[in-house]
Amino acid sequence: MARYGMLIDTTKCVACFGCRVACQMQNGLPPEEAFIHIYELEKGTYPNVNLQIVPVQCQHCDNAPCEKNCPTGATYTTKDGIVLVDENKCIGCKYCVVSCPYQARVVSHETGVVEKCRFCVEEVAQGKQPICVATCVGGARLFGDLDDPNSEISKAIVTKKAVPLRSDLGTRSKIFYVR
Amino acid sequence: MAWGGMIAWYLFLAGISAGAYVTAYWVSKKFPTADTIRRTGFFLSPVLLAIGLLLLVFDAEAGIQHPLRFIYLLSNVVGSMMTDGTYIISLFFVIGAYQALMVYKGKKVASWIEKLGVIFAFGTAAYTGLLIGVVKAVPLWNSSILPVLFTVSAGSTGIAITVLIATLWNRNACQNMISLKKLHFSLMVLETILIFIMFYITSAANEVAYQSIKGLLTGEWSLLFWIGLLGIGLVIPMLIEGIEINHSYSMYKPVNLEVSATTVLSKPNIFPLLVTESAVLIGGFILRYLILVAALPTNLF
Repeated sequence: MARYGMLIDTTKCVACFGCRVACQMQNGLPPEEAFIHIYELEKGTYPNVNLQIVPVQCQHCDNAPCEKNCPTGATYTTKDGIVLVDENKCIGCKYCVVSCPYQARVVSHETGVVEKCRFCVEEVAQGKQPICVATCVGGARLFGDLDDPNSEISKAIVTKKAVPLRSDLGTRSKIFYVR
Repeated sequence: MAWGGMIAWYLFLAGISAGAYVTAYWVSKKFPTADTIRRTGFFLSPVLLAIGLLLLVFDAEAGIQHPLRFIYLLSNVVGSMMTDGTYIISLFFVIGAYQALMVYKGKKVASWIEKLGVIFAFGTAAYTGLLIGVVKAVPLWNSSILPVLFTVSAGSTGIAITVLIATLWNRNACQNMISLKKLHFSLMVLETILIFIMFYITSAANEVAYQSIKGLLTGEWSLLFWIGLLGIGLVIPMLIEGIEINHSYSMYKPVNLEVSATTVLSKPNIFPLLVTESAVLIGGFILRYLILVAALPTNLF
């Protein structure tokens, strides 16, 4: 049993949108639906400015508000810590959409079911990387087991001082950011 | 926000349904002869709730395509606020429908069922606030005053719809019910106070909550807030009812006796009543709509 997580090094991200497009291909999403949203944050005043690029997707929280609020139990966490939606149980009430502080959930126009990043669970089961990690040109993304202290990601989180988004919300999310 | 007009209608309809039930119960105790208003309230309650629930079902698109999935709403006990609410509303609907059927048949309903109905009516009204109140990701909603505010508004709009429909049915139905007017007036005063308490406290919670409140007071939604909710929904009805209540003091009245519905003048002027109750209903919808649409999601960074 693992507890999968991800590290995103925003200092390496070039905003090529490769992860987003690869994810859309992988999950068969139409152009207007995406599981990865890329935010560009401007910091400072000219001439001392800095542009930060932050890709945000489902943070696979250990304490997921979407799962807590899902009225049908369609949202669940696997034993490997991946938060998934059972699309045969989802009624499309969108309670999870409003509950997610990361705005990571999208309603499928086709089925009305709410979807989101699934950490490419089928790929991971075969020992592969999620597609956004595999495709990242700058090597900004790292995927692995957070419970294994010797995994590459566990070490990188410590050496790079990576932190989750809005850890004050108590969601205990599993995507760590270097910013 | 993922929730918009349709959910606002649902919150509104569930609220007036609960309010109509309690109004009918209260009137039946206070004015045993006021039959029209009692029947109207008990009839309206399940009908309005049914319309609201239909809207809710239509908003859940995946459920419409696979209706059997709605069973999961009941199987996921003590999971989500919405699951708990489904139980509360379903039970309230069953009691309300039974009550309406008995009223239609002219039979008496056991007192404990009526009382249970009142409890579930309060549960339903409060639940509409709890549903969005527990959402931490939306700072404008995440406050414990919301269920209280929605319950008070449900009472006020419930009285409004019952009195409005009863009067349209029989223009003498609600004449001279000064204590009902007083109750209605107090609820509106309370609602106004609660709105401003909520604004003061919530805007101090964090920056996003502050921005949401600012959007209501001076920003994108300010016209709807000041003219729609405050002006039409609260000030105008409070003024008209206030004048009527004040006027009633100056009329000659036998001590400790309120003239009940069936024994009044032949052709009372119902215009102020129609204006008041319609305005309250418009305000009640605008309140829910504004709370939904003015809400900003919490900051990501």
